[in-house]
Amino acid sequence: MSVGNLAMSDLVAAAAAAMGLPEVLVQRSAEARAADTGASVDDLLAAWAGGAPAPAAVSAEPVVGDAPTEEPAAPEVVIEVPAQAPAEVPGEVPAQAPAEAPVAALGSEERHGPYMPPILVGSRDNPMTVLVGAVALFVLVALVGLVGPSLQAETPGALSTNLPYTQLAVDGQEIYGNLGCAACHTQMVRPVIADVGLGRVTLNDSNQILGTRRFGPDLSNVGSRVSATQLQATVEGQLNGHPKYTINPQDMSALVAYLSESVTVGEDG
Amino acid sequence: MAETQTAQIRALLGGGTSEDRVAATHFMVGAGFLVLGGALALLALLSIRFADLFPITYGRLEPMANLTLMFGFVVVSLVGGIYYVLPRLTGTRLWSADLAGSGLLGISGLVVLGLLVIGFGFGSGRQPLGLPWWFHIPMLLLLTLPLIITVGTINRREEKRSFVTLWFVMGGVVWLPLLYLAYFVGDLPSLGAVAVEYSNVFLSAGFVTMFVFTVGTGLFYYTVVRELDVSLASRQLALVGFWSLGFAAAWWGAAQLIFGPAPAWVAGVAAALGLAFPIGTLANAANVSLTLEGSWGDLSEKPGVTAGIYGLYLAVAVATLAALAGFRSIASVTSLTAFWEAIEYAAIAGPGALLVAGVSFSAIPRLVGREISSLKRARSFSRLTVIGSIGTLLFMSAAGILSGYSWIGGSNTAAYIDAGEGWAAGLGTSFETLMLVAIGFAFVTFAGQLAYAATIFGTVTTGKATTQEVLVSREPGDE
Repeated sequence: MSVGNLAMSDLVAAAAAAMGLPEVLVQRSAEARAADTGASVDDLLAAWAGGAPAPAAVSAEPVVGDAPTEEPAAPEVVIEVPAQAPAEVPGEVPAQAPAEAPVAALGSEERHGPYMPPILVGSRDNPMTVLVGAVALFVLVALVGLVGPSLQAETPGALSTNLPYTQLAVDGQEIYGNLGCAACHTQMVRPVIADVGLGRVTLNDSNQILGTRRFGPDLSNVGSRVSATQLQATVEGQLNGHPKYTINPQDMSALVAYLSESVTVGEDG
Repeated sequence: MAETQTAQIRALLGGGTSEDRVAATHFMVGAGFLVLGGALALLALLSIRFADLFPITYGRLEPMANLTLMFGFVVVSLVGGIYYVLPRLTGTRLWSADLAGSGLLGISGLVVLGLLVIGFGFGSGRQPLGLPWWFHIPMLLLLTLPLIITVGTINRREEKRSFVTLWFVMGGVVWLPLLYLAYFVGDLPSLGAVAVEYSNVFLSAGFVTMFVFTVGTGLFYYTVVRELDVSLASRQLALVGFWSLGFAAAWWGAAQLIFGPAPAWVAGVAAALGLAFPIGTLANAANVSLTLEGSWGDLSEKPGVTAGIYGLYLAVAVATLAALAGFRSIASVTSLTAFWEAIEYAAIAGPGALLVAGVSFSAIPRLVGREISSLKRARSFSRLTVIGSIGTLLFMSAAGILSGYSWIGGSNTAAYIDAGEGWAAGLGTSFETLMLVAIGFAFVTFAGQLAYAATIFGTVTTGKATTQEVLVSREPGDE
């Protein structure tokens, strides 16, 4: 079949049929190859469609770059070919590629054959040792950073902050979590000037949701400052500039119970 | 018909090997989640200042933004980068491209499901993700897949010498599931409130140091040498950078709870070891800067390298602020304030996004055989991200410091308002103004995020055809 007189769209279609690839892919590949080699798109398409040999078949010497200081790199699996030459299954590139591509049609800028920039050559070591070291480091960090804080702090004479919540309040604590209240409210009073007046200092046995942000007020002792009615009005957005939450009456009573039962009892620890 | 569609999709993704298509898909999905997460983060910040603006408040918007940015964007994109470099550095095919593809599908689905769960009020409220306990099991399994694939690939490697990127990748894929496991442990019913809170901050801090900065930097080392064809300045500095980031781990998480209900020595240890964070980021930034010596003029055409180097410098700034706030004197002012919100936001939206772009802007053209669709847009991403994240970091941390001082002032002057809030009278307005400016800069960051997604999608769909990098296996007898 002669392809010499076919229009470009026909050439694309013929090449796509010969290669078993979408036309858009073949068109793009031909344009890229043409720009790279100086050959015309038509000639390339004709070659790929089964006509003449691919033009501009300039085989380049492997680009090695500066000599590596270490021993030569092992062959890499990377080869660069002009755009979109298919290579679905490694090792079968020539079979799926256009005629004489990519092996014989590599442009002067492409790296033909085994290539690895010298800078990517590392030392002969075993990355698995990194794995062992990384796990060991994590265990160490977790022991100090996670287990450490859970150890009982010595606070002689301090009163417990493990509050005796009712079941309704325990349910309310779950609602507190669901609504994301802890994103803005702490339940943690620290022994610092900034927290003076907020109630008893929170101890290691606390059963509240501590939180790490205080965009709104601390709620560890809110039940001793605010009535249940005020709490409900606040949650509903009627007081203190609090955003409005619309929740069902059962959940609201549970939430208010949880907050109301958050009350300082006795002296500060 | 289905075959044609499959062929078209494969063509869009470069038509290369399955692992390269999977890597390209990771970058595209990650870019989509960046836009979604960036929008959610913006809404969350707005809801701090304008509490009644949206039907969902900050308490749910923030974990939704965290989930999308941390797992939808950063994890997906960096794992894509890992799948991109692994075959190229080990000389072998990816252990299982199908498994990698399934992992992407799974984690994307989980993120979307998580957004619905939190949005409809079924979350746990546990920072930073707010997911219910049952969610952690599939998430943990999915986060283990990159580890399995990486170890499987490295185990059968042809290239017996390791470029530094492999350490960072290995560290990141090991630490990510371990961090999540530690977070999962926080849901055990027998655990006390203190341990739960520490496991929360352990994840939010460890995620940045042990995964985002570690893997992002490691992949960027690969980008720099491939893009510029220059030798890495120092393997030793990379070694220092890697282990320091691992060692810095979660200390700035513990620093957020200084003076809290834990033994005082924890705070001391956290402050001292937290210094490893700036040391690690500084070592990596210095290493890349030395590597670029003499090549700075070439960066204008290398948007990936530009983004990555910006990311490394910003990482130094974030790490320094976080480490300083680990000391008790500073923590007495900054703890529990917007200062930490600023650091957590900036770490992901700033250096996190820039380091992701560091690899994706270099990888995508090689993977799909198309040039970056618009260098101008790619450069805009870097500039907007740098300006936006620095502005947000500065003004929001300033707002946090102001809060801390107002609490101290409130205590000294008895100026608490009814509910026990710590605002000294008059300072609230200043706080709100600072937050407003910070939010303004967050809009700039979001514009950068849009530019990133447009660059990735534009490159894949309309980029000018260019040389594609295709993986081929060695033939018998090849040298």
